[in-house]
Amino acid sequence: MNSILSFKIAIQTVKDNLRISLILIGLFGVMAIVYSGMFPAFKDMLTQMAEAGGLDPFSSFFGVAALEMNTFVGFLYLEMYQIFILIILAIVVGFVAASMISKEIESKTIDLFMSNPVSRKQIIFEKFIGLVPMVLIINFVTMIAIMGTTIAIGEELNFSYLFMTHIVLIPYLLSIVSIGILISVIIDEKMKGSIIMIAAIVAMYVYQTMGQMISAIEFVKYFSLMNYTNLFDVLKFGKVDVEGFIILCTVTIVTLIIAMIYFEHKDIKI
Amino acid sequence: MDVIKTKNLTKYYGEIKGVEGLTFTVKKGEIFGFLGPNGAGKTTTIRTLLGYLNKTKGEAYIFGKNIEDEIVEIKREVGYIPGELNIYGHLTGKQFLDFFSSLRHREMTLLDDLLKIFNIPLDRKVKGYSKGMKQMLGIIQAFMDDPEMVIMDEPTSGLDPLLQQKFYEFLQKQKKKGKTMFFSSHILSEVDKICDRIAIIKEGELVALEDVETLKSKSGKKIRLKIKEKPESFKGPKNMIVKEGYIEFSTTDNIDKWIKQFSKFTVLDLQINDFSIEDIFIHYYEGES
Repeated sequence: MNSILSFKIAIQTVKDNLRISLILIGLFGVMAIVYSGMFPAFKDMLTQMAEAGGLDPFSSFFGVAALEMNTFVGFLYLEMYQIFILIILAIVVGFVAASMISKEIESKTIDLFMSNPVSRKQIIFEKFIGLVPMVLIINFVTMIAIMGTTIAIGEELNFSYLFMTHIVLIPYLLSIVSIGILISVIIDEKMKGSIIMIAAIVAMYVYQTMGQMISAIEFVKYFSLMNYTNLFDVLKFGKVDVEGFIILCTVTIVTLIIAMIYFEHKDIKI
Repeated sequence: MDVIKTKNLTKYYGEIKGVEGLTFTVKKGEIFGFLGPNGAGKTTTIRTLLGYLNKTKGEAYIFGKNIEDEIVEIKREVGYIPGELNIYGHLTGKQFLDFFSSLRHREMTLLDDLLKIFNIPLDRKVKGYSKGMKQMLGIIQAFMDDPEMVIMDEPTSGLDPLLQQKFYEFLQKQKKKGKTMFFSSHILSEVDKICDRIAIIKEGELVALEDVETLKSKSGKKIRLKIKEKPESFKGPKNMIVKEGYIEFSTTDNIDKWIKQFSKFTVLDLQINDFSIEDIFIHYYEGES
């Protein structure tokens, strides 16, 4: 029990991922500044398009948020959150998580690592915990960058809603991390695992948009974790999809438990 | 006291046999040699004992604890040097040892002594280490908290003869302290030199398990004789061969009987030797006697 509470593996995981974390924090911070800072340049053009009904065709693909692309909230949601956070950040975080265990197996460092008195469940749990700081820091640095840029360009944005948006993103990103860890436990080749993770995120995005566009196959959107974030509603109205929040938390926990059980019974062949 | 006790321990990889029906014990305070060529099942046995592989059937206990249910507790008292040492290259030697120390939750009582024997550049990243340096680091991490038993899979590979000698001396010291060593190797001379008992594994099954001295004495003597007369005129046992003018055979009989036989000839050269572990090993593997 003491060894679980000491979080030595988690701390080492944080240290091991420090460089990639710093790069990602810088990258997403800059992206947030660039994308939110771009709005004034597009504002007039988007307003004209909205008045002429030019945004309507986008709504079937991007949802109701597309109709408000001429507002700062709509622009931010579509350009920043839907593309860079829900897809790109998820891909990056998932890519890292999907190699957590497999890279130890592939490089055979798992052999010495597991000679220590640590349980397999502890390894999975602490590897997960070790990725949480990276996720949280990227998430909140992005939020702070958006806040700063909003003030700098003189746009209006409810910062409480912005904060709530980034709270909702936590279970979403953590569910991606736990799915990545599950993949890394099942697939021994780290590159293969990471590619499967990317494919899964892209597939979720496709399910989400297809489910929104075609009512006959609306049910497919429920297979997408993005469906449970409803970030536009949070960002614009401060309305959190509590059910979706609980589903994302549940997916995180259940996936992590499955990863632990699978790893517990897995033969570590070198 | 039995430190390791296995009963009918079996591991199959699907349809492929890894090891089957292994029943043996390792006693406290002994250096137990585990012999076999590559692919015989040595590493599978070790990895099953340490919980890396799930056994197919049978039982195994280390310090009286079941490997299936209490592997974390077992590992508190067991150090391990894998056959293929892969250490985190991005860490320095010191960072690696600090990380492993933090996972052991014990005082690193032997660390300073080990660092005096095995001089490695602790501030350098492991990826810049030579094979020998990595091996030394592997040895240090296994023994640094002075565990009750260390399981070693080819531990001296990559060490120069001087370091090998220092390592053997260190093992003897540990043995005197009552520590147990499970020593898997295919370098028979080192097994002969340091082990108290040996097990020989062939195609996943134990074919011999004996004290080194008992095994040697059971195997008898090797006799090599050159006589002035025609070698064929000497009536030896069934296993006698004539090679390069020498009569060669092995015997478990009273040696006096053969000396009396030799006295009937003009003896030019005579060599009587005990069997080495290597001879015994070859006997089990090639059916030579």
